Amino acid sequence: MPSSAGPAGRVVAGTLPNGLRLLLAPRSAAGTVSVWVWYRIGSRNEVPGTTGASHWVEHMMFNGSPNFPKGQMDRAVMEVGGYLNAFTDVDFTAYLTTVPAPHADLPLRIEADRMSRARMTAAEVERERTIVLAERDGNENAPEFKAEEELYELAFRRHPYRWDPLGWREDIQRMTAETLATYYRTYYGPRNATLVVAGRFAERPMRARIGALFGRLPSAGAPPPRPAPEPAPHGERRATLRGPGSTPFLLVGFRAPAVDDPAAPATVLLDTLLGGETRLFGVSAWGRSVEHPSARLYRRLVATGLAIRATSEWRPRADPGLFVVHLQAAVGVSLDRLERALLRELEAIARSGPTPGELREIRQKIRVAAALAYEGPTRTAFRLGYFALLGAPGIEERLRRQILATPARAIRDRARELFAADSRCVVRFETAEARGGR
Amino acid sequence: MAADRIAAPLRMERSTLANGLPLVRQEPPAGAATFAATFFAPAGWAFDRPELAGRAVLVAELLTGGAGRWDRAALARRLDRAAATLTSHCHPEATEVTLWGPEAHLAELLPLLADAVLRPRFDSAEIQRVRRQLLERQMRERTQPDRRAEKELFARIFPAGHPYRETGLGSPASLARLTRAELLRFFEERYRDRGAGLAISCREPIGPLTRRLEELLGRGGLPPARPGPPLPRPPPPAPEPLQIEVPGGSQVEIRTGGPSIARSDPAYPAAYLANEILGGRSLLSRLFLNLREHRGLVYHAASELEAMRWGGYWTAEAATEPRRVPRVLRLLDRETRALGRSDPTSAELDRVRESAIGSIWIDLENTASAHELAVDVAYHQLPPEYYERWPAVLRAVPARAVREAAAEAMDPDRASTVVAGPLARPAGSTAR
Repeated sequence: MPSSAGPAGRVVAGTLPNGLRLLLAPRSAAGTVSVWVWYRIGSRNEVPGTTGASHWVEHMMFNGSPNFPKGQMDRAVMEVGGYLNAFTDVDFTAYLTTVPAPHADLPLRIEADRMSRARMTAAEVERERTIVLAERDGNENAPEFKAEEELYELAFRRHPYRWDPLGWREDIQRMTAETLATYYRTYYGPRNATLVVAGRFAERPMRARIGALFGRLPSAGAPPPRPAPEPAPHGERRATLRGPGSTPFLLVGFRAPAVDDPAAPATVLLDTLLGGETRLFGVSAWGRSVEHPSARLYRRLVATGLAIRATSEWRPRADPGLFVVHLQAAVGVSLDRLERALLRELEAIARSGPTPGELREIRQKIRVAAALAYEGPTRTAFRLGYFALLGAPGIEERLRRQILATPARAIRDRARELFAADSRCVVRFETAEARGGR
Repeated sequence: MAADRIAAPLRMERSTLANGLPLVRQEPPAGAATFAATFFAPAGWAFDRPELAGRAVLVAELLTGGAGRWDRAALARRLDRAAATLTSHCHPEATEVTLWGPEAHLAELLPLLADAVLRPRFDSAEIQRVRRQLLERQMRERTQPDRRAEKELFARIFPAGHPYRETGLGSPASLARLTRAELLRFFEERYRDRGAGLAISCREPIGPLTRRLEELLGRGGLPPARPGPPLPRPPPPAPEPLQIEVPGGSQVEIRTGGPSIARSDPAYPAAYLANEILGGRSLLSRLFLNLREHRGLVYHAASELEAMRWGGYWTAEAATEPRRVPRVLRLLDRETRALGRSDPTSAELDRVRESAIGSIWIDLENTASAHELAVDVAYHQLPPEYYERWPAVLRAVPARAVREAAAEAMDPDRASTVVAGPLARPAGSTAR
């Protein structure tokens, strides 16, 4: 198997005859092993009527398989002090287990067992339905979730990015066990999966063990359907939500490029410039956006007292998605005023681009953050799998080089295209308690 | 590599700076490229007078909002250049300020931590900014079911004047009273005290590190530590759950809990295991298994034991749809009572404690998570070998001790309950 040594250190890549892709990152100093299986299946592959199926399958994957009856996989991993979880995104689903190194075989056996043989009985699916609905209910308690769901419904009329990976409530209520089982049987299997193992193990025995456990699995996993492209928008779209919760806030989304688009590097830089996140190249690549006082939106909107929070977010996607700005008004500041101030800032960046000092600083931030992002087997396995799902091998290093070489004028030109009024979607969340203001 | 041989990566050592500031140093995980450093001071919101509530949190936030020659923007740019972070966290007893960054930049970054805890600027614009943020957080406490339930629970468990009664955010009126002079006074009183301390996870050996910190944090003596506030006796709990109608959501948040033991209590290891069995050890816990896994009533159910320096509290939480609230309440009560009435089986106890012991390996994956153990040792003034001995300590706890600790430290007869959210059938007392 070929190996490479990028920012992650030494990584061995390969593919089993049944189509399962492998990425192995042996780290002799580590005390743990982290095993991830990434399926190239997410809400992007669903259709109305089955929205939320990928996420529901994620839940069912913990409900038993031939060698790990219900409850056994949780128990087995937890008993040795391990950690297991999973998450569903629009473009993929990931299952992770990190255990003390002597127990590395356990997550391998679990993943091999449930890759195409998870239990999907009607009774278990029915019981899990209430839990999935409860998860959705919990999200609905947060005004931010409701507003984000509204934003994507505004922005996408055909493409599956329209719905959240949790799925629509009505679909969760109606979907049958047979529909869910068919979805699982059709798409889950080695051909749509990437197995990533990072941590303390010897490469050769690990490869042999993976071959023994996964190599005998049938070459399942039909190519997931590619969604039809979303037509270009022809004008601004707006919505207003009202409810209790916080001070009013604003979500403004713009149609943004896919990860393999030549415009992606400049879009990353705009995200870092405006909101401050290094995103792909930070330790918390997958976390929510947080406060960055050096970022332009913060300096112009938070430091001046208009907002208490100002972040931007562009998550690289397989298909064109959204670049989202989230602004939360300070008490007494109207959303109209906040929106006008934001648009002035976006016009300014589209007119002049970043200053030389800003560009120098965000490049430096990305350069240093990238060097710290691989600390520990869990983070290493996460990043290797994430980039493997995002694009062709080497995408991380290629993107990093392109980002660091992108000139100011390319960022300015990108801003002009990105922040066009015709692709703008605006969701305002107004609260009864805080309505009004200057 | 057996799970109880975790000593080497956890090695900690103690030192004391010339001014009396205690230091715990921990070796970072092998291969880690980062360091973490935490300064803590007895400056939690328990020291807020009611009319000045919010003061401790406001000061804590301002420590990272500019210090020495760095205003907030300049400080942020300086940190960004090294991909470092400087954060603060305030709880009832103390405030922690933590610097994290690349080990290669330790020498140039540590002065920023010293500036933050010795020379915060308290710029007027920053005071206004943080005040605006706290007003928004107060609003969420009134309107978000989870935060509202937590706030009301503490107010039910602890009487007026108890240090754990409040959530630290104050009210619009108390925030309006906080002048810059008042904030400075609090800073001078609370951040220069022998109750402060340091925990650092870095490669630099303890000798040179101590000398470096003495240069940065001063050699003069600190005034003696002042005792914490008195702990008024919690009142008897109200018999019925407090039900609070919070419109706009889909789910009702349930919180139950009561007073508990301090970290220094000899029963802590047994109480720790009791909590892990109830709801602390996620997928192995009784709350997860009985409320979610077997009955599908909730997405999330957990418990927490917060054993602090002066005392403690325990809480259990779940969220569910309105019509299921009575059933979930019954199950929460049943599981809590069962824990104090019957010994856990040896199989259950072994499972949970081996899980707790093994999970230390996961904590040691990166500097940030390993550092939390060092902060724990430093703050609670534990021996440096505390976590090396922890597996043996847990293995020595018998099932009977777990039951007895549960009955004392998580006593359902001293517990209060709050439910908040879109209630279907309001009953009992109602607050709006």
